[in-house]
Amino acid sequence: MAVLADSTKSFAHPIEHDHEAHLREEHLMLDPRPRGEMNAMVMEAMTTTSWKFWAVAAFLAVVVVICLGYYWGYMITSGLGVAGINRPIYWGIFLVNTVFWIGISHAGTFVSALLKVFKAEFRRPFTRAAELMTTFGLVQAGLSIFMHMGRVWLSYWLMPYPNERGLWPNFHSPLAWDFLAINTYLLSSTMYLFMPLIPDLAMARDRSTGWRKSLYRVLALGFRGTEGEWAHLRFAMNLFAFAILPVMFSVHTIVSWDFAAAMRPGWSSTIFGPYFVIGALQSGISAVAMVLIVVRATMKNMKYFIRPEHLDALGKLMLIISMAWAYFFFNDYLVQWYNGDKWTDLLLHFHEEGPVGWMWLAMLFFNIAVPWATLWNKSIRRNPTALFAIGFFVNVAMWFERYIIVPTSLSINRFPFTYQFYKPGVEIPLSFGTLALFILLYMLASRIIPLVPVWEVQEGQMAHSLKKFGNESIITISDLEE
Amino acid sequence: MANHNIPEVKANWEETSGVWGMSIDMDVCSGCQACVAACAMENNIAFVGEEDSGYGRSLHWLRVEHTFEGEYPEVEATPFQPIGCQQCGHAPCEPVCPVFASVHSKNEDLNLQVYNRCVGTRYCANNCPYVARVFNMRDYERPEPLPNQFNPDVTVRRRGIMEKCTFCIQRIHQGQDKAKADGRELLDGEVVPACAQACPADAIVFGRLDDPESKVSKLSKAGRGVKLIEELGTLPRVTFLEEEKTYGRTG
Amino acid sequence: MSEKLSRRDFIKLAGTGIAVTSAITGCGPASRYTTREPYTKMPEYNYNGKSTYYATTCRECPAGCGIVVRTMQGRAIKVEGNPIHPVNLGKTCARGQASLHGLYNPDRIQEPGTRTRGDSALTAIDWEAAIQIVSDALTSDPNSLVFLSGLANDHVYDLAVELCASIGAPKPIRFSAFELFESQATLRQATKTVFGSTNPLYFDLANSDVTYSFGAGFLETWQNPVANTRGFSKFRRGSDKRGYLVVFEPRMSQTAMKADEWIPVAPGTEGLVASAIGKLVAEAKLGSAPVAFKSVNIEEASTLSGVSVETLERLATIFANAQAPLAIPPATASGAPNGLGSVISTLNLNVLVNNLGKPGGLYLSPDAAIPAMDSSATYKDLQDLVGKINAGKVKTLFVHGLNPVFEFPASLGFEASLANVETIVSFSTYADETSSIADVVLPDHSALESFGYQRVKTNTLVPILSGAQPVVAPFYNTMSTVDLLLVAGAKAGGKAILPYKDEVEFIQAKIEPLMEAADGYFNGADLPTYWASFQQFGGWWQNSNSSTAPVSAGSLDVAPQISTELSIGEGELFLHTYLSPILAEAGANKPWLQEVPDPATTVMWNTWLEINPKTAEEMNLANDEVVKVITEAGEIEVSVLVYKAIRPDVVAIPFGQGHKNYGRYASNRGANPADLFGSTVNEAGDLVYSSQKVKIEKTGKKYPLSRMEGYTKLERDLGEH
Repeated sequence: MAVLADSTKSFAHPIEHDHEAHLREEHLMLDPRPRGEMNAMVMEAMTTTSWKFWAVAAFLAVVVVICLGYYWGYMITSGLGVAGINRPIYWGIFLVNTVFWIGISHAGTFVSALLKVFKAEFRRPFTRAAELMTTFGLVQAGLSIFMHMGRVWLSYWLMPYPNERGLWPNFHSPLAWDFLAINTYLLSSTMYLFMPLIPDLAMARDRSTGWRKSLYRVLALGFRGTEGEWAHLRFAMNLFAFAILPVMFSVHTIVSWDFAAAMRPGWSSTIFGPYFVIGALQSGISAVAMVLIVVRATMKNMKYFIRPEHLDALGKLMLIISMAWAYFFFNDYLVQWYNGDKWTDLLLHFHEEGPVGWMWLAMLFFNIAVPWATLWNKSIRRNPTALFAIGFFVNVAMWFERYIIVPTSLSINRFPFTYQFYKPGVEIPLSFGTLALFILLYMLASRIIPLVPVWEVQEGQMAHSLKKFGNESIITISDLEE
Repeated sequence: MANHNIPEVKANWEETSGVWGMSIDMDVCSGCQACVAACAMENNIAFVGEEDSGYGRSLHWLRVEHTFEGEYPEVEATPFQPIGCQQCGHAPCEPVCPVFASVHSKNEDLNLQVYNRCVGTRYCANNCPYVARVFNMRDYERPEPLPNQFNPDVTVRRRGIMEKCTFCIQRIHQGQDKAKADGRELLDGEVVPACAQACPADAIVFGRLDDPESKVSKLSKAGRGVKLIEELGTLPRVTFLEEEKTYGRTG
Repeated sequence: MSEKLSRRDFIKLAGTGIAVTSAITGCGPASRYTTREPYTKMPEYNYNGKSTYYATTCRECPAGCGIVVRTMQGRAIKVEGNPIHPVNLGKTCARGQASLHGLYNPDRIQEPGTRTRGDSALTAIDWEAAIQIVSDALTSDPNSLVFLSGLANDHVYDLAVELCASIGAPKPIRFSAFELFESQATLRQATKTVFGSTNPLYFDLANSDVTYSFGAGFLETWQNPVANTRGFSKFRRGSDKRGYLVVFEPRMSQTAMKADEWIPVAPGTEGLVASAIGKLVAEAKLGSAPVAFKSVNIEEASTLSGVSVETLERLATIFANAQAPLAIPPATASGAPNGLGSVISTLNLNVLVNNLGKPGGLYLSPDAAIPAMDSSATYKDLQDLVGKINAGKVKTLFVHGLNPVFEFPASLGFEASLANVETIVSFSTYADETSSIADVVLPDHSALESFGYQRVKTNTLVPILSGAQPVVAPFYNTMSTVDLLLVAGAKAGGKAILPYKDEVEFIQAKIEPLMEAADGYFNGADLPTYWASFQQFGGWWQNSNSSTAPVSAGSLDVAPQISTELSIGEGELFLHTYLSPILAEAGANKPWLQEVPDPATTVMWNTWLEINPKTAEEMNLANDEVVKVITEAGEIEVSVLVYKAIRPDVVAIPFGQGHKNYGRYASNRGANPADLFGSTVNEAGDLVYSSQKVKIEKTGKKYPLSRMEGYTKLERDLGEH
């Protein structure tokens, strides 16, 4: 005891200094660098590519051409028979992927809008990385819907516009709601991605030459950074942050209604709306963590912007959402089981004991057991490899969850005579195709647009400061936004 | 009557007895599958081959269900039960179609499938509690000269389209128009779908449900009549007459 | 990009867009106020011209149902039953419905041709050359000419009989897999023994109140399934009674599935069970049993058959108390060493309850409308034929309406014997096993393109001659075999000249006597008028019942031959072979018939082996596993189907698939259980095939069966839920 007190005393000053340094090292907001340097860092991250980058991009491009181009063309010309659907499993992996990618897309909005509304400061460096996921995830979701359609060349018939057919879409149909909800979400999230991008594009415009300059000049919409422009931008962003949240909740709720509105055992569940939203966040936040870890590891200067504190925060979010998901899962399961309907009962047994029962167990293990067992631990949360692995398993589990809800549940209906199993066909290459396209788009975008909203970081850094109260260093924040 | 062929969509369903209906007597149905073959020949249904049919992709509009209950030697076969579209008065397949390919016709009170509107979302099939709908997974090959047999009154469907039993609506229209041309009412039993016409056991009876004197109305109200999963509120128009394993029934 | 315009206006525009969208989505369906029209009107709502309907006769099986074919613009569109035809009264079966897939089958033979034996391709010839070949054959040694015929081509057979008689050739031989699997010769001989009659028996199912069937698949293929099903419908719901059906057979067939009770008797003990019931009925009704039943030991019958004494007594009581009891003889089980005895026992049961000539009982069908040439060959006759061929006594073989290489069991050695035949002439419409090895192929019109007639032999109380006429013009360069034989005969000269100009004249000559017949459905003042009506109505029949009551020839007083031999061959399991209810012997080349599920197992497109779950478990077999089924005669490989409703000591395989060369839809599909049959014949000359014992070996292979029913797959995975 004495020794300890002694040493504390003797190193009193350096420790205080270390504590502050530690805080600055820990928190990006307290670790400002000169604006010019930060801008240059972001520019450098964006413009630096190694041969490895191009090798991976080329590989992904080949995967996209083969898996998406070839197999989709093959499926369109020869019919959905090359996929695995049958009677009664009319919906297969394409809709699993749709729900999955819409789920992924939820993270972007959640991070940038909900965390913004709640003034979660840790969000600042990675809002854009998350929003990009929203947009590209929705692209994959949309593609998956198109793959799903029997006559995709007529998909424009879902659009409400006066036409020679004399037909509006049927607004009774949850699919029509879906179509509109996803389109609304895609439009609004793209706009929400674009708005905070404008100052960064202007920054990039001023710091680049050649094709980049021409491109950024157009994209920056002539942003000069006047007080009026900033005021408008802040106002619009605030407005959008509030406006997009209901859209985000509605879109996955409406996706859940595709199932919940149907008269099927296992689907007709009133809790599906929030259950799907939480599921979306579960996979989305995990995906954000995964993406950040990759970005941090592979892009130049990113270790400055993305720090263990961010992984830590995301890890906590993942844990909380995992608990929420478990609650909804249990609630859904209990209520369905309790009502005693014999078909639902059969279906629930089928989930656990059927040919893909391992999937059900894996879902629970990776969605509940793994996060709960690990994410309470700070050092695991801050360990990029561990967090990446957990995020990966959670995403796999969430994909399994959708797989169980869509094709596995469709095996069971009220006519046992018609029961069949589902064996995927070209869904598998097409799924990898969408994944490859997502990563490819993300990689290319990371080299075209500034992946860190550098002005938001700077804004945050300006607002944050360390104040001393006695011997304690306290982080204080001044609110600039209102 | 220029417009009587055109289906109209009812936005609100009312509980009506229906216009056209069918009763199927499971006590006499021998499971001979004549109805299945007749339906296929009348309605230009494609055959899908061994692999696809084993994978639940056969395009039968009508399937004859049965199963075995118990274990040998106390094993019993459940009665044969031909199940096709139940032509629900309140059909779950209709509201879910985003492009109005699955619609209700006001005149016939039938569920229509408008093939050329269908974009193949397959929601209707998911939502059909009777699993009555089948989907054209491919353009199934019918080598020459098999297409010579095609019924010109029925659309030949291509890949990506949902289809189902229509109660042989082409026969209904022709029967109605013939009666109109003759200046009379349609007689009971004048219009029969292909399945009922072929049925050697006369298990399938078809007719108007809005005519209380028709054979099908009387059978539908008979004591043995049941409707499939009626509790869902689908108002099915097909009544199954249950089997009685008794000896010497009277009345 | 104008800075002044862009952002604010853009956002405003976007806002308006969202508002409009939500207004549209929010304001409910516009559909309520508009009338929607189909995007394009569908054919279902339009008229495409007028149809023409032709009455003719279905020739998918020998039963002779009348059909009406709807045609449009020279194409046959749909087959319906002929509503006035007394046999089927407007109804059809699946095979009749799918017969259009025979007419428009892509694997029809399109023109005459010859080949060198062993080649697969035909060299096209013209009909002049074809006529020359046939005429040469007719002028060669008549004793070396054999005409093989099927059962569904009466007019060709009649002409062949006349021609053969005229030139001094042996009488044509008629056979078909139907004969084999229904053991018709045994039934014919039993009818002769019990009632002293050669007329077929009519079983009045419709008016019976208790029917015991000893294994005839009367709702599937036996005699006329359409008429039987109609009878069954009346049996169940026809009057104020509900008929009670009990079926005794080792495997629950489609017919047994409709029964109120299925009694799984050991194979070959059907007759014994019938006798035991007969004894109990006689003792209950008369006090003592007649000689025919007296010697039956009930206990022993119970042990052998596996039916408990209580069940036998209960069933006997029901039968004895019935108002109109009826016993239907075995079909499959007739093909047993004791087959004749079994059939006689069941017929005796009818004699015992004296339902002869009474409603719900037995009748004798009247004589055929025009003289029947005679009945089909027995399996014994076929064995004699093969012997004759092997002895080199047959130089020319004509084959019409039959596919002997497929339909005759391999153990008969028919295919091998063909090496001794100089010229094989096939008149087949389709490429099949026989026509693909024949030296000369002279395709006949398909059934729906040709004239003809068919006597209705079974399931009728009135004489019927069902008429056939072409419903469409011949699709290919084919020629009516009757025309061909007449022309070739004329060319050959001498005795081969028959007094008919062509097929129509021949048929007219045959039906001319019916113009005079009393009580016909229609009459004609002259032949053309009569002929027109014959075509229009689809045949001729008498209005009134002219059946007769069978009279017992005293068989009750004859002690039955009790054959102790219940099985042949070696192995642990009995093989129960039955004619596929959907495909029967020649339906396999029709794609839609392949896709119609088997009524009992719902299998499509293949052959399967039915096995009791317990036996399967003992042998460690699961669904879709391929096993080798072995007898002394041969072996086949077939996928396993675990079937709950079969005796544990029996396995069953349907006959109908296993074609080697029968068009694209049938070739190399499934297996042919007839390859397993031996060559023993029973007392009536029918092949013994139903008491065949087999060995089963695993092959380690798997071949999934296409099944309509998915439940069992799930059940396997879920256990008892």
